[in-house]
Amino acid sequence: MSGPLIAFYVIALCVLSCAVLLLSARRVIHMALSVGGVFIGCAALYLLLDAEFVGVAQILIYAGAITILILFAIMLTNHEAQEPPFRWNVRNVLSALGCLLLCAVILLSIRRTAWPVPDASVDINGGNSNPVAIGMALFKQYAIPFELVSLLLIVALVGAVLLARSRKEDE
Amino acid sequence: MGNWQTQPLTLPSVLAMVLGAVIVLVLALGVVTYTIYVQRKLLGWMQLRIGPNRVGPLGLFQTIADIIKLLIKEDVVPASADRPLFLLAPVLAFVPSFLVLAVVPFSAHHVFTANLSIGVLFYLAVSAITIHGVMLAGWASNNKYALIGGMRSAAQMLSYEIPLGLSLVGVVLMAGSLNLNDIVLAQQHSGWWNVIPQILGFLVFLVASTAELNRTPFDLPEAESELVAGYHVEYSGFRFAFFMLTEYVYLFAMAGLCATLFLGGWSGPWLPGWLWFAIKVVLFIFFQFWLQATLPRMRVDQLMTFSWKVLLPVSLVNLVLTGFIKAFW
Repeated sequence: MSGPLIAFYVIALCVLSCAVLLLSARRVIHMALSVGGVFIGCAALYLLLDAEFVGVAQILIYAGAITILILFAIMLTNHEAQEPPFRWNVRNVLSALGCLLLCAVILLSIRRTAWPVPDASVDINGGNSNPVAIGMALFKQYAIPFELVSLLLIVALVGAVLLARSRKEDE
Repeated sequence: MGNWQTQPLTLPSVLAMVLGAVIVLVLALGVVTYTIYVQRKLLGWMQLRIGPNRVGPLGLFQTIADIIKLLIKEDVVPASADRPLFLLAPVLAFVPSFLVLAVVPFSAHHVFTANLSIGVLFYLAVSAITIHGVMLAGWASNNKYALIGGMRSAAQMLSYEIPLGLSLVGVVLMAGSLNLNDIVLAQQHSGWWNVIPQILGFLVFLVASTAELNRTPFDLPEAESELVAGYHVEYSGFRFAFFMLTEYVYLFAMAGLCATLFLGGWSGPWLPGWLWFAIKVVLFIFFQFWLQATLPRMRVDQLMTFSWKVLLPVSLVNLVLTGFIKAFW
């Protein structure tokens, strides 16, 4: 067994157990923390795939900023929220069946797809280090889409501020 | 040591990985132990006291005695605390502080340094995880002082991380790389340390890193007089020791980052690289203790405005200036 393969299984186990923990936890704050665990596990997978920049950005944005945001939101609002204990009723049984069906469909399509085999002799980064290659792609090839996405973010930001403002004036 | 991802996993390579981690851990623990001793001696000297002088010659074993005391203390978990989170929080706070040491180049032949192409970003990203530990510690303690301390700490560290990151971007622009080893090499190549061309960025970095470390003018999260001790008020014994350890490992790591990015890292004339690195690290740590003995604490209402209205614009100006110089000169 090679190192990356072992690492993959360990990381996958961590991500899956965090995800199961998220679903089985009863207190909202425990759920938020397990989401953080899933994010960090995904970042580790990206690092394993040699996508260093994406992996670290995942830690910075998702595990760092977004999880903290969720925690803040929970702490500033209803902090004793708990889910009621689980019960098997018709709706839950049906959704469980739906989940199993979805799982089967996804598994089947994954198994039937012929995945392209990576060519080890071609360097997809074009000889640059990983962040340099991403910078080249973002600011040369995809400069206009990149700027448009940032415009979208600013619109969302201003919109959020406006929404929060008008609600305060109503009170 | 090579890249473990491309090497086959054999017993010697696994042993080398474990050994490297243990050596860095022992180094960090040793540095922390004597940082605390030096801090107490320096503060004593600046306040015309003697400082610790009872345990061992010159009080050299004082911190070790303190650590032993903390380790054999009773492990108290408050009855109404959120038990799993209360136990997890110190771990969550400590692990990132040790992880960031992986990218700090201690010497020219960087034996225990990951040659990551995104080292600077790695430091910023991983150190942000500690905020979770601090915040959850405050939350899980079920204590109003701890909660306020945790929230304050999270808000402070989040808002000072932005000027800190932006002040580093200037250095990255100068070197053209996010790799800490490359940044040291670029400074060695250009002939001057980044502290001269990047003086504005350096000043922002100094202020923002002091705030990141929760050290004196910005030690609001643990303001003794108003919050008792902040987020770790309910912690005792070795869990409390973990929070203290986190704080001092970060002091060491931040000193290493400062030395690497602005003071030329291990480069310097005559002396060996590791000694240069040690001298620069000691200078940064001394500066922090000097501040601690000199300055009063900031008010909580001044804290956020200072970060967003002073540090952030200054670091943006620095970024634009650096870009201009880099492009036209």
